[in-house]
Amino acid sequence: MATKAKSYEYSVNQVPPAGHLLVSSLQHVLLMVISLVLPILFASQINGTAEFAATLIAFSMLAAGLGSIIQSVGLPFIGSGYLCPNVCGPSYFSLSLSAAWAGGLPLMRGMIIIAGLVEMAIAPIIQKLKKIFPTFIVGLVVAMVGVSIISQSITSFFGLAFRDDAIQSIDIFVGMFSLMVMVLANVWGKGFIKMYCLLIGILSGWILALILIPEYWHNLAAAQDFPIFALPAIGPEFRGITFDFKMIIPFVVIAISGSLKSFGNLLAAQKISEPELQEPNFVPIRKGLLADGFSTALAGLLGGMAVDTSSSNIGLAGATKVLSRWISVGAGVIFVILAFFPKFITMLSMMPKPVMGASIIFAGSFMICTGLAEMFSEAWDPRKTFVVGISLFFGLSTAFLPSLYARAPHFIQTFFTDPLPTTTIIAVVLNQVFNLDIVLGNLKKKK
Amino acid sequence: MRLLKLIMFPVLLLMLVIFICGCKSKYRDLDLTMYQYRDTKDLVKFVYDASLILKKEGMTSLSYFQNNRTLFHTPDYYLYIYDMKGTNVYHAGMEHLEGKNLWNVTDKSGKKILQLVLDALEDSNNPHAWVHYSWWEPGNFYPVPKSSCHFKVTTPEGKELFVGGGINYPHEEQEFIRIIVDDAAHLIEYKGGQALADIANPVSQYNYRDVSVFAFRPDGEMLISPAINSTFSQTNLLECADEVGHKPFAKALKELESADAVWEVFMAKNRYQRRLIKKCLYIRKTTMAGKEIYVAAITDLPEPPY
Repeated sequence: MATKAKSYEYSVNQVPPAGHLLVSSLQHVLLMVISLVLPILFASQINGTAEFAATLIAFSMLAAGLGSIIQSVGLPFIGSGYLCPNVCGPSYFSLSLSAAWAGGLPLMRGMIIIAGLVEMAIAPIIQKLKKIFPTFIVGLVVAMVGVSIISQSITSFFGLAFRDDAIQSIDIFVGMFSLMVMVLANVWGKGFIKMYCLLIGILSGWILALILIPEYWHNLAAAQDFPIFALPAIGPEFRGITFDFKMIIPFVVIAISGSLKSFGNLLAAQKISEPELQEPNFVPIRKGLLADGFSTALAGLLGGMAVDTSSSNIGLAGATKVLSRWISVGAGVIFVILAFFPKFITMLSMMPKPVMGASIIFAGSFMICTGLAEMFSEAWDPRKTFVVGISLFFGLSTAFLPSLYARAPHFIQTFFTDPLPTTTIIAVVLNQVFNLDIVLGNLKKKK
Repeated sequence: MRLLKLIMFPVLLLMLVIFICGCKSKYRDLDLTMYQYRDTKDLVKFVYDASLILKKEGMTSLSYFQNNRTLFHTPDYYLYIYDMKGTNVYHAGMEHLEGKNLWNVTDKSGKKILQLVLDALEDSNNPHAWVHYSWWEPGNFYPVPKSSCHFKVTTPEGKELFVGGGINYPHEEQEFIRIIVDDAAHLIEYKGGQALADIANPVSQYNYRDVSVFAFRPDGEMLISPAINSTFSQTNLLECADEVGHKPFAKALKELESADAVWEVFMAKNRYQRRLIKKCLYIRKTTMAGKEIYVAAITDLPEPPY
């Protein structure tokens, strides 16, 4: 136990003292808040009123908060029991918008429920996939979890709200300052400083941004228009749930892709929480995927945006070595409570973009390196070189060349959506193909 | 010592908040909330700053502008000052234009730019006097799309001038189409059916780049087509659907039962990359010969950065 204590500040099942639990939960909440940009953007894209946006945010927060609790609290049949909070899932964003345009919010809700049920149906299959996920592919998937948040983190770091807009040097300075505070507090700090490096980095970056960039100060003024406490106003848009057969296929595909992403997140959470495991334990991962699907369906039922497991929060847990699942539960409870306090949520969502970017880079760095270390932890051979190399070529190309895939044949568009699911699918398939000689050889020997 | 540190932190934070609250922004009278892009906001602030200098220092400030041209010339935009008769007083990017009258100068499509600017400066619906046209860059051989904003200034000497700046390759702000659609609706209300020809005129303020104002009746019959300058198209706008089957006009008209103007989002193919992008439609109700009609325009929506 003494040797274990050195590898983490709080282990996965340990309950931190109340003060630490609260501050650590708040630290995770600050990362979770970043995803609220999605319901805000969603409301603006469908010309929703301020009241509509507030209700959508509240329901999304309720779904994400409850999902985080279910994921981590340690229920018998559902939830991984790892520190793995839920946030609004970016992968569902475009498709949810299409559903909302075609059939309003009722259709979006119906299709999100279907996607959630699909994710839940996939969960038991994952346990059967043990053989197709050797250690080096698990490492690759974990690294790709970090890679998949590069676009979001870098555009935020440069202060971009919209594509091709102006970049200001002062934003880059704030982002760099915030990132350096986080990293140096983590590398050189001890005790509180190390544990709350992200919180310290966010606060110091935010204060610097308020001093140097008046725009962020003006943005905060928007919070004046919101009440301190309010129950979600259930307008006519939030009544009813409908389904459209034509949208089932795209939602099923995105649900599979979302499951693969959560699979990667849960593998990473397991690797960080239980480093002593020699090979993945698929039982908590199956339960985690079940919880993820349930939370997505719950989001649809409530009238919020689809939720997903958060890569950034897992990265933060790994970087700070604070792995207690109770922190995820605490963050979930705070998220649920905050859903009823629009003024605070508005203020938190006004976090300067470069500071948001710095936070995601900080957490993502850990994910990438954990994955790479895992990947190269076993003996290497040419088969692995080509499995990893080819899958990375095609997986990363979805981020480098999105317009290329927009004109590709439909079946390619379906699977080549994002670096994480694309790399995972290709790596799994190629690993089976390149090892066909070994499989056949073994079969011959048996005969 | 630890207690002192604990107390000092919130005290310093509070002092910082008070300090920032106490600072008076020079832009407090400048409403930029209607713009989405930073580039646009930066341009308006850039021109506004210059207008404040001219308003305060008067004609003597011209020597300051002339001696500091690099301050008023960025790779994306530059400052210029004209009198109300179209004579250039100062040009940060094209010095040789100073002293010349450009009243009748037109862009490649025939737009009389200076005359459009003066109209925009008189338009209370266009608070930053936006004008959209094409211009050129010295040394280049292709037209550059521009959107320019302007502020009218009366100097302490009593001289009336306007200060402007135009951004090259501008973003399509939703505010730009709000201005032209609202103006077109007022024109129809004022001039009736005759206004339709003015609005359809390609060199009018109602048409720029890929944006054009169009009009239709409540049953979907087109008065000015959004797609083609001809009446052979019998398309009923209410039946038109976007790339995901959404009928933006039908939905918008439903919302217009309880509003004077609405924004509606739809999906269309991107002109260059052929992928689906979000566009928006702005429709305003107006009356022509006592009957209700709708005036509208379409523009791009800002895309998320990733």
